[in-house]
Amino acid sequence: MGTENPNPPSYPVRPAATPFAAMQSTPPFLSSGPVAGSESSSFRPVPPASSQFRAPPFSSGPVVGSEVPAFRPPPSGRSNELVGPPPSSSSSSSHGPPAAGFQRFPTPSLPSVGHAVPQRTGQPVLSPTTRPAAGTVASPPISLLSQPQPPSIPMGSPPPSMKTGQVNGNIPPPAHQLLSSSRPNVQPSSPPVRPSYVTTPGISQATIPGYVNAQPNTVAQAQPMQPASFTLQQRGYAPGAPPTPFLAQQRSVNPPSLYSGNQMQHHVVAPPTATSPGLAEDFSSLSLGSVPGSFNAGIDNAALPRPLDGDVEPKSLAEMYPMNCSSRSLRLTTSGIPSSMSLASRWHLPLGAIVCPLAEPPAGEEVPIVNFVTTGIIRCKRCRTYVNPFVSFTDNGRKWKCNICSILNDVPGDYFAHVDASGRRVDLDQRPELTQGTIEFIAPAEYMVRPPMPPLYFFLIDVSISAVKSGMIEVMAQTIKSCLDSLPGYPRTQIGFITYDSTIHFYNMKSSLMQPQMMVVSDLDDVFIPLPDDLLVNLSESRNVVDAFLDSLPSMFQDNTNVESALGSALKAAFTVMRQLGGKLLIFQNTLPSLGVGRLRLRGDDIRVYGTDKEPASRAPEDPFYKQMAADLTKYQIAVNIYAFSDKYTDIASLGTLAKYTGGQVYYYPSFQASIHKDKLRHELTRDLTRETAWEAVMRIRCSKGVRFTNYHGNFMLRSTDLLALPAVDCDKAYAAQLSLEETLLTMQTVYFQVALLYTSSSGERRIRVHTAAAPVVADLGEMYRLADTGAIISLLSRLAIEKSLSHKLEDTRNAVQLRIVKTLREYRNLYAVQHRLSGKMIYPESLKFLPLYGLALCKSLPLRGGYADAQIDERCAAGYTMMALPVKKLLKLLYPNLVRVDYSVVNLSPQTDESNIIRKRLPLTADCLDTRGLYIFDDGFRFIIWFGRSISPDVVRNLVGEDFTGDYSKVSLSPRDNEMSRKLMKILDKFRESDPSYYQLCHLVRQADQPREGFFLLGNLVDDQNGGANSYADWILQLHRQIQQNT
Amino acid sequence: MVKLTLIARVTDGLPLVEGLDDGRDVPDADFYKQQVKALFKNLSRGQNEPSRMSIETGPYIFHYIIEGRVCYLTMCDRAYPKKLAFQYLEDLKNEFERVYGNQIETAGRPYAFIKFDTFMQKTKKLYQDTRTQRNIAKLNDELYEVHQIMTRNVQEVLGVGEKLDQVSQMSSRLTSESRIYADKAKDLNRQALIRKWAPVAVVLGVVFLLLWVRNKFW
Repeated sequence: MGTENPNPPSYPVRPAATPFAAMQSTPPFLSSGPVAGSESSSFRPVPPASSQFRAPPFSSGPVVGSEVPAFRPPPSGRSNELVGPPPSSSSSSSHGPPAAGFQRFPTPSLPSVGHAVPQRTGQPVLSPTTRPAAGTVASPPISLLSQPQPPSIPMGSPPPSMKTGQVNGNIPPPAHQLLSSSRPNVQPSSPPVRPSYVTTPGISQATIPGYVNAQPNTVAQAQPMQPASFTLQQRGYAPGAPPTPFLAQQRSVNPPSLYSGNQMQHHVVAPPTATSPGLAEDFSSLSLGSVPGSFNAGIDNAALPRPLDGDVEPKSLAEMYPMNCSSRSLRLTTSGIPSSMSLASRWHLPLGAIVCPLAEPPAGEEVPIVNFVTTGIIRCKRCRTYVNPFVSFTDNGRKWKCNICSILNDVPGDYFAHVDASGRRVDLDQRPELTQGTIEFIAPAEYMVRPPMPPLYFFLIDVSISAVKSGMIEVMAQTIKSCLDSLPGYPRTQIGFITYDSTIHFYNMKSSLMQPQMMVVSDLDDVFIPLPDDLLVNLSESRNVVDAFLDSLPSMFQDNTNVESALGSALKAAFTVMRQLGGKLLIFQNTLPSLGVGRLRLRGDDIRVYGTDKEPASRAPEDPFYKQMAADLTKYQIAVNIYAFSDKYTDIASLGTLAKYTGGQVYYYPSFQASIHKDKLRHELTRDLTRETAWEAVMRIRCSKGVRFTNYHGNFMLRSTDLLALPAVDCDKAYAAQLSLEETLLTMQTVYFQVALLYTSSSGERRIRVHTAAAPVVADLGEMYRLADTGAIISLLSRLAIEKSLSHKLEDTRNAVQLRIVKTLREYRNLYAVQHRLSGKMIYPESLKFLPLYGLALCKSLPLRGGYADAQIDERCAAGYTMMALPVKKLLKLLYPNLVRVDYSVVNLSPQTDESNIIRKRLPLTADCLDTRGLYIFDDGFRFIIWFGRSISPDVVRNLVGEDFTGDYSKVSLSPRDNEMSRKLMKILDKFRESDPSYYQLCHLVRQADQPREGFFLLGNLVDDQNGGANSYADWILQLHRQIQQNT
Repeated sequence: MVKLTLIARVTDGLPLVEGLDDGRDVPDADFYKQQVKALFKNLSRGQNEPSRMSIETGPYIFHYIIEGRVCYLTMCDRAYPKKLAFQYLEDLKNEFERVYGNQIETAGRPYAFIKFDTFMQKTKKLYQDTRTQRNIAKLNDELYEVHQIMTRNVQEVLGVGEKLDQVSQMSSRLTSESRIYADKAKDLNRQALIRKWAPVAVVLGVVFLLLWVRNKFW
């Protein structure tokens, strides 16, 4: 960050604004909670703990870690005590102990502050008060400030300068002390310094401005100063200072802060500085890093960054290149492409992109369609890039220069248009392909190897006894029947069915029949296909027969007692029937395939293999039959969706390969019971059948010379090195690709990416959807960090981790994730912290503030969590397959679900409760947030868990679940009842569901202390808490911090 | 047995419809589809082909009819009665004209009327078995006469285009080369002239120069 790149003009220039910005930037994060916390924390340590720690703080890294534990115990209690005496709420604590605290406070106060905050509710108020004080004080001690300031200024622009500045102007020792002090533990270093600080309250103020400037880099400097100033300020000012103004500032700051911490700061800086320099300092320290020491107990928990606003996409790239395609379709893990291999090797996170080629545009927006059939689609003659907004026209419009390979192409006569003085084509406004990042071309005949296929749905249904018993067949048959009218592609849609148990049943659906004819084939080794023409029929012609079939299907197998399942042979039969056309094959599997080819062993899940080298084998597919089959299916454009229902082991790991390599999806309903899971299956099957689907698709991502996409992750089959075969694609599927540099040095300024998906729409049109995006090449690691996109990084990281878990132990996989995060933050630390001697703090770029949390959530996610007892092997695998295909937003929601309290809005009967407000009030995922009188909804995008507090009003419970709620909550389902509360709750749930229609969120009711149900559904999923041997968020940060420091 | 069915616009050879899962039991269906496309290309070049024709190719035979600038083509076994094949094409033509007749000229993308394949599929099934009562009746129908429809070989048909191409190419080469010959001949002529008179001119020039010098100085 220190070295600003001239390249991106759009970004605020750090050098000028940096000092302020830094301050501001930090505040934004901390804004409400953190700020107060920082102050308070500083105070806390002072009392008892501080004295102890003083000695250790100096020892930078290791010391901190040690300190932390020590701190934890004291923080909460102490802070409260402290608070008690002073009138100013939380901050008051600092005030209370002024005399005694003094000694302690001056140095350590700042760092400790952050910790204290979480506990206090009134945090924001406190912080403001303290700040103003600082600001007021500041004016007098200018002299002192002068020294610190110079360094701070340099800070803004280049880090190195900062160093020098510090050394020269400021007293090096004080800086250290200050730094150390910033962390709660630091105190010891401060002793010598303290006197100076204490003596000059004004100094602290003065320092503040300077610090503000320097913050990102110099933060350390500023901080040391601040502590002293704070103590002083607090005494005098605390009461008088108006908290509100500061808060407001902070808030405003926040939005900009979203961008990279350093630069963002610039924007923010201006306003805050004016108001209160002191504030700025606080923020910087907080923002830069959470203090390790501060992580005591739960105290500073609240100050830790949490994505309570959901996924926040970085907008800087879109601002730089307004013609880029939307981030819905293409998200880069960092928008700054490293200019050299050596730089790329220092970027320890995955470098790549998440592509969701068919992402649904928001309502009202449509992808423009361009028809080039007469001229042929304009493409680069060398690299085959499609014409896009980034190409330039030269030679008076007769030639165009490809933005990806820089070759000059002729403009065909039909496409010629004059170019005006500025190089723009005069017909630009009529050429959406030259102005829009996302476009759809109608493909001419050269893009077709065969006429567009009709949408085709083939159902392969297991009708063995377990399917009959669970009621799956009935729900499925009803659902399919209700979807027949809305299947895409009328009137060409084709449909067919095969059922199987130990034999295979074919159904003749010829339109001239009244009733379907069933034919049973029992030779599983060499399946004979009777009547190949009438097994797959045109839906509109055979509608009556299909209806009759679906009506009679549940009763046909009512008394079936067959327990076998010949999936492999049935699959082959279906393949033979579908081979001519391709399409979608939906498999409804209820038991472990036990007969014929592809029968699977009851490998089960053995606790003894966990922790040994054999562990990953249970998660990896066993029988190569399924992979081979998937390869064949893909070749013939068949996509497989697996619906698995069994309550016993079904080896999803093996079955899932069918979906994985054919661009399909795995739906898993463990222990399916029609009475409970009916709605879920109905919704998801309906969506699967009716959503807009792209058929027989292939996708290729092109990018500028010098970079190359090397690895792809997701559900697809790789046809050549970079061509993804996707028999069926829809808006719920995303693909990840890793980028690598081919040349040691990139010479260009910008790298372009172009995603092209050639597909057949359900209406039988062949189309090419093209997304084009540009990203700057940067030569500075700080810039890469600044432009990083946590959502995309986590998406890619989770795919890598899940793939790794198939060949490595879970433990190793989790460690690998952790190691990556540690390396990343260490690199960042080396970039900024060391030179400024920020020894005790954990710092991270603003853009990656959620990375540690999401990393933790990933380690706790179903595919990777714990060991044997923490998740069923099938659930693990199913979740893994699901996560491999999820788009970024949904994945982030799954990793860090929404937790909202709804009892107020449910009980409050005023008709106009604003439901959207509720959705906005997301809570941290910790049990501390659960009030025993409350009613909470936990929403991870796949299910709702409704948590009833122990002391919730019985009235609410009665209204929502009825009178018989005393019993087992697992048997109670939430159904609409005829009262206002129930209607309200249903409205809220519907609202949630509307916002995420890909899956149906089934409600699970959980009562507090209703173990083990509560633990299973909710407590085990509270990411911030310690559960099942996994770290709590605070511990995790602490651990990360310790590891980061180990090698620095 | 009907194997393939295609409908294309004659003016530019744009394919409009192709039968569903065509070529299922034809081992090298792609080869024949290529031939069909070449045929369409030939037609679009405006050669005056008869509106009804049969073309033999390998073990199969193409039948096509051209009406309203649309070509309806099907590929059958050689043994399949010609009469039935043409009746099948007539059926398709009638339905196609009824449904899409007014959109044919404006169709902008390949396979614009792919939805027609369901009808095609249905009709095809009716003609699949030559021994059904319905088909036998059609075979015996004296009103529909197919005898005068010309039968040619596919190599011949595709070859005609090739040969014509060759001839026109040769003739155009002939004109351009004869022009070059004329130019070169003119050039040579001039050079010969120069070579012949240049020494005489030089001698005369020297003589005149000497005369002039002598007059001037003496």
